[in-house]
Amino acid sequence: MSLKAKLLLLVTLSIAVSIAAVAWLIEARTQRYFRQVDQERTTTLVAQFRSEFAREGEEITGAVSDIAASEPVLRMAFDLSGGGDSAAHVNDAASYAAIQHLDFLDLYAPDGTIISSAHWPARFGYKQRWFLNEAGDQPGPMPQQTFLRQVETPQGNMLAILAIRTVPARGVNFYVIGGRKLDSALLHSLATPAGMRILIYSAPDEGPAGFLSSTSQNFEADKLMPLVQKARQQREETSTTIEWSDGSPEEVFYAVSLPGFGDKPAAVLLVGNSLQQQNALEAHIAKVSLMIALFGVAFGLVLSGIIAAHITRPVKELADAASQIGGGNWDVHVEPASHDEIGQLAQAFNRMTQELIAQKERLVQTERVAAWRELARRLAHELKNPLFPLQLTVENLLRARQAGPEQFEEVFRESTSTLLAEIANLKTIIGRFSDFSKMPAPQLQAVDLNELVRSVVQLFHGQLSRGPASIETVLQLDSVPPLNADPVLLRRVVENLVLNAIDAMPQGGRLIFRTSTADKYGVFELSDTGAGLTPEECERLFTPYYTSKQHGTGLGLAIAQSVISDHQGKITVSSKKDEGTTFHVELPLAGST
Amino acid sequence: MQLTSSGHRGVGASGQPAPSRAGAPGHRKTKTALAIALLVIAASTIFASTRPHYGSTARVLIQHKINSLDPLVETDYPGDRDKLSPLVFETLTELDAQGHVHPRLANSWQSEAAQRVWQFQLRLANFQDGTAVTSTIVVASLKSVSPEWKFTVYSRQTFTIETPTPSPHLAELLSLPKFAVIKRLPNATLVGSGPYKLSQWQPGEHALFTANDDYWEGRPYPDAIEVQMGASMREHLLERNLGHDHAALLGLDQVRALEQTSQNVVLSRPAELLVILFLQPDQAARNGKKAVDPHIREAIADSINRSAISNVLLQKKAASTTALLPQWLTGYAFLFPDKPDPEQAHKLRTQAGAVLPVSLAYDFSDPVSRMVAERIAVDAHETGIAVQPVGDAHINTRTGRKASTADAVLLRLPLRALDASTALAAVADDLDLSPEMLAAITSAGRADELFAAERKTLEDFRVVPVAHLSQALWLNNTVHNWQQLPNGDWNLDQLWVEGAR
Repeated sequence: MSLKAKLLLLVTLSIAVSIAAVAWLIEARTQRYFRQVDQERTTTLVAQFRSEFAREGEEITGAVSDIAASEPVLRMAFDLSGGGDSAAHVNDAASYAAIQHLDFLDLYAPDGTIISSAHWPARFGYKQRWFLNEAGDQPGPMPQQTFLRQVETPQGNMLAILAIRTVPARGVNFYVIGGRKLDSALLHSLATPAGMRILIYSAPDEGPAGFLSSTSQNFEADKLMPLVQKARQQREETSTTIEWSDGSPEEVFYAVSLPGFGDKPAAVLLVGNSLQQQNALEAHIAKVSLMIALFGVAFGLVLSGIIAAHITRPVKELADAASQIGGGNWDVHVEPASHDEIGQLAQAFNRMTQELIAQKERLVQTERVAAWRELARRLAHELKNPLFPLQLTVENLLRARQAGPEQFEEVFRESTSTLLAEIANLKTIIGRFSDFSKMPAPQLQAVDLNELVRSVVQLFHGQLSRGPASIETVLQLDSVPPLNADPVLLRRVVENLVLNAIDAMPQGGRLIFRTSTADKYGVFELSDTGAGLTPEECERLFTPYYTSKQHGTGLGLAIAQSVISDHQGKITVSSKKDEGTTFHVELPLAGST
Repeated sequence: MQLTSSGHRGVGASGQPAPSRAGAPGHRKTKTALAIALLVIAASTIFASTRPHYGSTARVLIQHKINSLDPLVETDYPGDRDKLSPLVFETLTELDAQGHVHPRLANSWQSEAAQRVWQFQLRLANFQDGTAVTSTIVVASLKSVSPEWKFTVYSRQTFTIETPTPSPHLAELLSLPKFAVIKRLPNATLVGSGPYKLSQWQPGEHALFTANDDYWEGRPYPDAIEVQMGASMREHLLERNLGHDHAALLGLDQVRALEQTSQNVVLSRPAELLVILFLQPDQAARNGKKAVDPHIREAIADSINRSAISNVLLQKKAASTTALLPQWLTGYAFLFPDKPDPEQAHKLRTQAGAVLPVSLAYDFSDPVSRMVAERIAVDAHETGIAVQPVGDAHINTRTGRKASTADAVLLRLPLRALDASTALAAVADDLDLSPEMLAAITSAGRADELFAAERKTLEDFRVVPVAHLSQALWLNNTVHNWQQLPNGDWNLDQLWVEGAR
């Protein structure tokens, strides 16, 4: 990724992250504000319900107290406690309830037997023990306030606000329990704000529990049960957010436990607050934030593009210049566009380039001198060797001329042959130098590498297997497509490598030929088990006129590298001391270029 | 067996002396005559208020609406109709307060040994249109009621009835109002031979019965009996407070309030059968509903606290029962156990497995039935059976019950006769008893045979008796000799009303 792209991305990301952070902050604050408003509305509604409940409770308490203290009820209690017939009072409760506007009223005997029931007249004679203690014949703690309880009626269970009063007579207590139903009407009477609703959960002693609702809106009761159970167990206000399965908007429900008879909570008040408005507003905020973010990103893209272009242009020029220098074009100059760090960098680059050019020229000159010196040294060395016998032979001839004609004649014959041999040697040396200077251009054609290798091995077979220092040859030849090469030059390279390997193993050893394919190249490897080379030797091995052999010209491997290089190939060497040396040659396959 | 009786009616069933009808003085000496005349005048002055008077109109209130006096027409409240129809229509025989059969239009009767063929001798009487009561007309009337009987007319006053099975109680059976002798005119007018003529008839609203001057047993005392039907309880009380009415049929729920104000309330013996009838599953109109499981029927029967219903709900104006006929009539009703057995009910409920709610229909207009149905539902609820009381305006007729979707109905069946066998046979239709069962009842000559037939009727718990209810009648103090029979029927032969001329 270019510097410009990075800068672009960085600036854009910075802007986007900044906007996202701001949007998140706004949303979080909005949510917190909404929660506060919801809490206030819920608290108000709960307080309103409690107020209504308390007002209704006062009326019921007063009505039940009035009935319990009324003369007919006192008379009934004394009558029945004295053995009177309860049948005479079976319809009393209905009239008392009608007078006091109560929905429910039961008159109970001391043992909990229903004497009269206003809401279920037919239920007389049955016993109810929920308001009695375990003994069943003595009253438990009687609450003075109203409480909630499910009341059985012919139509089923109904949630009621009840009050209980005792009527003492002749040492026993009769009971008056009355109240009014807590139904949807009461919930409707509450000023429920839009988006809110009230539910009341209640469960009878036996039978299924149910919900009262201030609205006709359906809901999944199962989803509310965990909250209800939590409120019943903890007996404190709790809340949760409900996600409805039918796609209705989420609702936050606050649950408040309502008092029942005794320790058991009879019901749970649930105030539901729809998140529809909140969600809509949050969605609106999110939408606006998204639009701002998109605008910000677009703006950031443009701005960062301009900035990046401004910043990266001189850097790019520097990079291009460096690239040209890397490509060998040293005639590069970068014009400083500013006086800032980039400008200074450009000036430094120019200075560095100038310095490098100068150093390079100096290096070339030095190398050239060194090469000439080396050439001169090699030439001197090569020529010196034949010259010394020539000198001795001529000196022998001069001494033989002084000694006598017969001796001279004999010496002359020997000397001339020696002179000729040494002159031939000089010619050979000169020929080699000449050959090196006049390497022919390769005539490329398809060459079967394996065939070529086998041919060379065949050629050297006699030499390799001769004498006590025989060399074992190993062929590990893979199938290799034809190479694009000059067969003569390539053969010369292989032969040269083989000769070097033979020279490296005077005590014999093993010579391994390998061929293979790598990508678009045919590979030839030749390994020996000779003494090996030092890293320094490996480094200088292909330098012309460098040789580690006593009689080598130092041109063999230089020529081989030249040939391989002319074939667009590569030759390398790897070696370990006392383990052997491996030459690795790669040549392009036919048709790959 | 020959059961012969004269048609003499010298003494009222209430035991009061029969009022002396107007007659001519004999030939005496003048002094004696004057003395007697003075004595009579003095006695008349002293006892005028307790002596029967001719004239005046007796006003009667009936809660239910009666649309026809024709016994062949199905009505919701046959008990109330059967109280009025004897004013116009007479039967061949009648039963007294002890259940003994007496002649009415039939002067005498006898049967052959097998008690299948009965011969009746008619008295000399006329219909209210002046025509004579003849065998032909009587046979035509009876044949419309019992087409399965074979009738043979021997003379103007003599005919025979041949029943398919032995009928030892045929004479008692013929005292039932449905066997009233009615002359049906071509214009659909019904003519009877009774002591009153039907002068005005507004179905379900109002009826006026005027005295039949040519009645074979003598003209009744009142000039007329005016019947107001379908009056609400409020109207009843209002009318009574004004003192305009002479008699009113009361619901049992109204009795207590009236008794507390020392009103004159007459109660019959517990006679009217309050019974749960589980409807037959094979009735076509029941929309394929399945019959209630016999275990559940039995469980409901065991769960009912009949004592609470009779003593508390009905304020001891009823007697709990598990028999069809009251103990005072049969003497064997105590053999049917009537104590609730909640444990057995629970056991049966458990055996039945999953149970659908049982709908129990009651007469919508009857507060007593509603109270009892609700109590039955409470008792069943404690056993774990859901009984749903449902108000229904048409369950009192067989047609209405066939159309009902309820599983069971709570019926009030009047005790139509003071003879046990006849009374049981009279409810056979309402209880959908099989012809075999009906034959067993009508042919039961002894009490143990009747007991066996009744037990057989109740053994599958399709019919579950709950209580026998008394019938309550409020009477103004100005009404005299209004005789209420033990089963709640009226005998108004000696009725007279103060305030007449």
